[in-house]
Amino acid sequence: MVRPKIITFICIIGYLSVVFTFPQVFSPQIKKLGVLMPAIYGILVAANFIACVGLWYFKQWGVQLYLVSVFAKTLFYLLVDQLGFGFYSNIVLSVIFMIILLRFFPKMDPNL
Amino acid sequence: MLRVLFKESLFFAWQSLVANKLRSFLSLLGITIGIFAIILVFTIVDGLESNIRGSIQSLGNNVVYIQKWPWDFGPDYPWWKYMNRPVPQYYELDDLQKRCKSVEALAYRIGKRKTIKYRSNSIQNAVVAGISHDFYKIKNFDLSSGRYFTQNETDAGYHLALIGANIASGLFPNEDPIGKEVKIGGYKAVVIGVIKKEGESLLGISFDYQIVTPFNFARYFLDPKSENSDPIIYAKAKPNVTNAEMMAELTGILRGLRKLKPMAEPNFALNETSLISKGFDGLFDVIGTAGWIIGGFSILVGGFGIANIMFVSVRERTNLIGIQKSLGAKNFFILVQFLGESVMLSTIGGFFGLLITYLITLLGKDAIDMDISLTSTNIILGFTISILIGIISGFIPAYSAAQLDPVEAIRSN
Repeated sequence: MVRPKIITFICIIGYLSVVFTFPQVFSPQIKKLGVLMPAIYGILVAANFIACVGLWYFKQWGVQLYLVSVFAKTLFYLLVDQLGFGFYSNIVLSVIFMIILLRFFPKMDPNL
Repeated sequence: MLRVLFKESLFFAWQSLVANKLRSFLSLLGITIGIFAIILVFTIVDGLESNIRGSIQSLGNNVVYIQKWPWDFGPDYPWWKYMNRPVPQYYELDDLQKRCKSVEALAYRIGKRKTIKYRSNSIQNAVVAGISHDFYKIKNFDLSSGRYFTQNETDAGYHLALIGANIASGLFPNEDPIGKEVKIGGYKAVVIGVIKKEGESLLGISFDYQIVTPFNFARYFLDPKSENSDPIIYAKAKPNVTNAEMMAELTGILRGLRKLKPMAEPNFALNETSLISKGFDGLFDVIGTAGWIIGGFSILVGGFGIANIMFVSVRERTNLIGIQKSLGAKNFFILVQFLGESVMLSTIGGFFGLLITYLITLLGKDAIDMDISLTSTNIILGFTISILIGIISGFIPAYSAAQLDPVEAIRSN
């Protein structure tokens, strides 16, 4: 099945968010949180990116990884107490995207 | 089974890197430069921060400085308000000691730069300080040899001196300084102790280039009423007393001593070491952010370079991928093979970046007398960034290689 435009839009938003969040992995602010925090945050950013690649290819594992990465990122921000407008708007957008993705989930390719 | 799969994939990846050494080297150069830029800045900032915080720590967080000028480094510093203030006086120390209940120790200090001489040797611009006896309770003197002043020696203003490590090595390169006479501002003083080497301090509070004498002797060549002598009263709080409580009590006593009217502004400043920390926090943030931005762009460029080379690599080996798949290789095997190559490339680049940073810190240690070293935190950060950029840059080419149709792949030129 050809990838729907809405999925393409979600993927582009995802790629842009990776471009902006990846530099934060080695920012002084994340570094101050702890020794392993840059590594953990980096894994979350990488997972988000890989999920977007999966969605781009219209794969089911992309949706699954996207769900896991959103959940993990939310948990990360809660644990480090980095709550603000960005956090809440991110959650709202993620929920909307998840609803859309789950709608297309049965039509996606189940293979790797 | 999975372990064998990984091992074989990584073996293929390694072979590919080794087969094109020059190309691999040029690809990882961007990552090397990016990691080097970021980690070097972080290492320098961590070293400077550690030096300054160590210096501040040596002064103690529970010490308040009674001075003429406040430590306010903002852009709207109202210097005209403070110009006519009197400097702290030695007699105020006695009154404070009698009346202040929240202090554990009080000390007085004046200081100025002077030339110190011993026979034909001299040191210019050494800091000569005159202190009250209890100064050792504020700043603990670690002596490598000799002793501190006795109460009697301080009160009577005996012509004695404690010298810093660099002064000792400069004036007495081949002999023991203890018992020798040095000349300070035309006055002779006998050296009774040498202060242990402390190393460079960015705050300029290292005793290596200082000579410490009793206040009642120092007043012969330093004017305690002059601002040029930088008079300071140090107040150290008792263990269960906060700085705020002590400062409130000191304010009340000093206002009474200086006969200030109730509505008049204070004509003294109570400074805390936390103000110094706050002043530097902003500076370190700026330096760290600048290094982060510069290094970040380098890494981004390096990442695009790796992604580009991985696409080329996939294109070159399309036939090989087709053959591998037709012999039973799974998509996951192909994915791990190319992703492993990308991660290996960036990790090697990161390793070289860290190695160059380490060599520069070794050279820097000899050049400046300050401890700047590559910490484990920064090493972990360097490798983390390298691995992540390898995964992110290499994933799309690796995945597109894994998705190739074996028949089409074998057929391609």
